[in-house]
Amino acid sequence: MSCPHTPEIIADHCDPDVSAEVLQRHRVHLETCKVCQQELLTLRSVPGQLLRWQSIPVPHWDRSGMVKATSERKPLPNRFHQWPAIRQWLPLVASLVLAVAVIAQTSMSVGPQGWSVSFGVQSPGLSAEQLDEYLTAHANAQQAETREWVEAALQTHGQTTADSIYQWMTYIEQQRALDVQRMDAGFEQLMNRDFQTVDSVKQLASYVMYQVAP
Amino acid sequence: MDQTDNQLIAAALGGSLPAWDALVRRHERRVYNLGLRLLNNPDDAMDLVQDVFLGVYRNLYRFRAESQFSTWLFRIVHNKAVDLIRRRQTGPEIEYWFEEGTPEPANDLPGPLDSYLETEMNQRISQLMSRLPPAQRLIVELKVFQALTFEEIAPLQDIPVNTAKTRFYTALKNLKAMIEAQT
Repeated sequence: MSCPHTPEIIADHCDPDVSAEVLQRHRVHLETCKVCQQELLTLRSVPGQLLRWQSIPVPHWDRSGMVKATSERKPLPNRFHQWPAIRQWLPLVASLVLAVAVIAQTSMSVGPQGWSVSFGVQSPGLSAEQLDEYLTAHANAQQAETREWVEAALQTHGQTTADSIYQWMTYIEQQRALDVQRMDAGFEQLMNRDFQTVDSVKQLASYVMYQVAP
Repeated sequence: MDQTDNQLIAAALGGSLPAWDALVRRHERRVYNLGLRLLNNPDDAMDLVQDVFLGVYRNLYRFRAESQFSTWLFRIVHNKAVDLIRRRQTGPEIEYWFEEGTPEPANDLPGPLDSYLETEMNQRISQLMSRLPPAQRLIVELKVFQALTFEEIAPLQDIPVNTAKTRFYTALKNLKAMIEAQT
């Protein structure tokens, strides 16, 4: 025969902190349960027999030995009190910077006034109106230059001759050729602004990779 | 005037060897006797003492004065003791010990326990304890010798309170059977 309350009654009997209410409930149960009565009578003496243990002093041992042994070794890093190792995050940071630069369409330009960084979609390098203005201004400048040159030539040669006309024509053709070269150079310079931006980003990327490489 | 545990800990953390020595001396006896009862071997008990205080020294900076040092220490002692019991468990297991929930005690233990009558009290007790299954041995140690409540024991062993009470009851029945078998 067994009773489901026996373990709790025996355990609580050995627990000085159990409440009076619980003890009263156990007393009521014990009045009617012969199994629990018998188990309590049988087992109540066991803890007392165990407590006849005589405390034994500790043999001599080197208590400070572990302190010395531990202090001789390099202390373990306390990761809660250290700055994070910056080097291990550099590749990730560099990748993030490049990703942001690509996503934000970053462009960098270097000019005589220094360098500048801009974000977002840039307007086309040269709009049609700007190009018209540029060509008009260039044509005006060219006409003014030609006019000055003709006036200077008239003053120098006095009157028109077949030789002087030939010389004028030769000179004008040379000037035209020079103008065409200047225009080519101007357009190339305009085009190079975009290439410079791309080149600057490439240089930045190669610099970062160089710094990150172990 | 004796320094408190917290004062000794603060000094030990500052590098004071005498403070560490005093702290160990204050608590080592309790740990050593626990080891003797649980492991039934002075060398193993000494190993437990050294293991425990090495662990305490390494983790001393983690101790927060919110709880008592002895409570914090005992958690380390419990874990180290469980480890050592598992490692030292080489003796033959007695198959017919009562398991939790088994209602009837067995009183027919064989003769080897008779020799306990001729041994000293401590040796008898530690041998009785050593014959218990490790889980029951630990709960008797925690309840009877360390005077913990079942509400404190249950989380230490990661079991419900009622399971702790049932395990304790079963351990007492086993011990009673062993004592009766001696007489």
